[in-house]
Amino acid sequence: MLFRNTATLVQPLCFFVLIALLFPLSLPAENALLQRIGGGVIWVAAVLATLLSLESMFKPDHRDGVLEQLIISPRSLTTAVLAKSLAHWSATGLVLTLFSPLLSFAFRIPAEQAWVLFISLLIGTPSLTLIGAIGAALTVTLHRGGVLLAIIILPLYIPILIFGAGMVGQSTQGAAIDSQVYALLAIGVLATTLSPFAIAASLRLTID
Amino acid sequence: MNPFKSIWNFLYISFHRLGSPREFYTISAYATPVFGLLFLGLSTYGAYLGLFVAPADYQQGDSFRIIYVHVPAAWLSLFIYVVMACASAIGLIWRMKMAFVVALCSAPIGAAFTFLALATGSLWGAPIWGTWWEWDARLTSELILLFLYSGVMALYYAFDDRRTAERATAMLAVVGVVIVPIIHYSVEWWSSLHQGATVFREGGPAMPANMLTPLLLMALGFTFFYGYCLFHRARNMVLHNERNSSWVREMINELE
Repeated sequence: MLFRNTATLVQPLCFFVLIALLFPLSLPAENALLQRIGGGVIWVAAVLATLLSLESMFKPDHRDGVLEQLIISPRSLTTAVLAKSLAHWSATGLVLTLFSPLLSFAFRIPAEQAWVLFISLLIGTPSLTLIGAIGAALTVTLHRGGVLLAIIILPLYIPILIFGAGMVGQSTQGAAIDSQVYALLAIGVLATTLSPFAIAASLRLTID
Repeated sequence: MNPFKSIWNFLYISFHRLGSPREFYTISAYATPVFGLLFLGLSTYGAYLGLFVAPADYQQGDSFRIIYVHVPAAWLSLFIYVVMACASAIGLIWRMKMAFVVALCSAPIGAAFTFLALATGSLWGAPIWGTWWEWDARLTSELILLFLYSGVMALYYAFDDRRTAERATAMLAVVGVVIVPIIHYSVEWWSSLHQGATVFREGGPAMPANMLTPLLLMALGFTFFYGYCLFHRARNMVLHNERNSSWVREMINELE
């Protein structure tokens, strides 16, 4: 579905790149500074791009009635929303992750840290999509859910952002990154196992 | 008769009675002033003990006395969130009207206490740590809690239909409860500027009794204050929600 509509695929990606590029333009163009803040900036850009893409997750399906069909169908809604979240991630989070080395290059981040950033985004962005999908499901019936979605979801994103950006920061200082990797993976496991139930319940609550 | 059984029956019945908006309105009319008086008594006595009787700290001098507002506020900011999440879960599972009222009325009070904890914390930090604010695990996670409360409130007012609003908000409150243990343990998990747990820890409180007693009195008093505010707000909300039902109309007619 998402791949068929090129706009939904390209828009978050353009947004991601543009947000990240605003920083070198607005800060003094020193390579050392860019190198130091690059990891955090790219993480923030990824969080914002994911947030932007969440609105298109359930809204079109709600508009044309697919969502109602999924809710009343005998098959498990939980499995359906998990599949939907993973599909959504593969069109947003995964694409952003694949593009991150290019941005790392623009920020003059050394290859080693660019690799760490890539890994942190790869294991962190699925949780972003899955947790964000709860917010998307809660606000699906609202006409102007955009800002509200950001207000309710960003607080829940902060731990992921801290660990993800912290992982890049740690590796810049040459310290071990194991604890951040484990924390991100733990969040990922919890998000994958628990949030489909919350998403399904939220959809049932708001649509009836 | 088995005393436990009769206590259980009493609790069971009162739980169900409180679940009905009308019964809640009648019972809370008596409970509200009691909570208010308990709050006044406990916090006045606690404040007296804390400000005049307790000795000054040997390191921090008199400035440590802000603890008697800061710790109860921080304790309530977490306690109210847990109450809100439990009430939301009860509301979602058993479809209980009053549970949603309790959850929604708790949110602004909790946000106020979170703000108070942050404000008194930064006032305390200024002389002791030499900084108003630090990007530190405990402080940041408390700030996240404030945004979580505002998210819950914002979501409630975004819906036109009250039933949907109640249930969606309850769902968000239940999801957000994962933040509470992070805040509580942030001091232990990350090396933080904030001191570790002093009252609830293994081996008993690390505080002399004449400092601890006023703190506990204040915490208990503040909790009654929460109950007092909650009852007031809940009574208003019940009246508003049930404005079309016969018992509210009868009451209004009697007033006129």
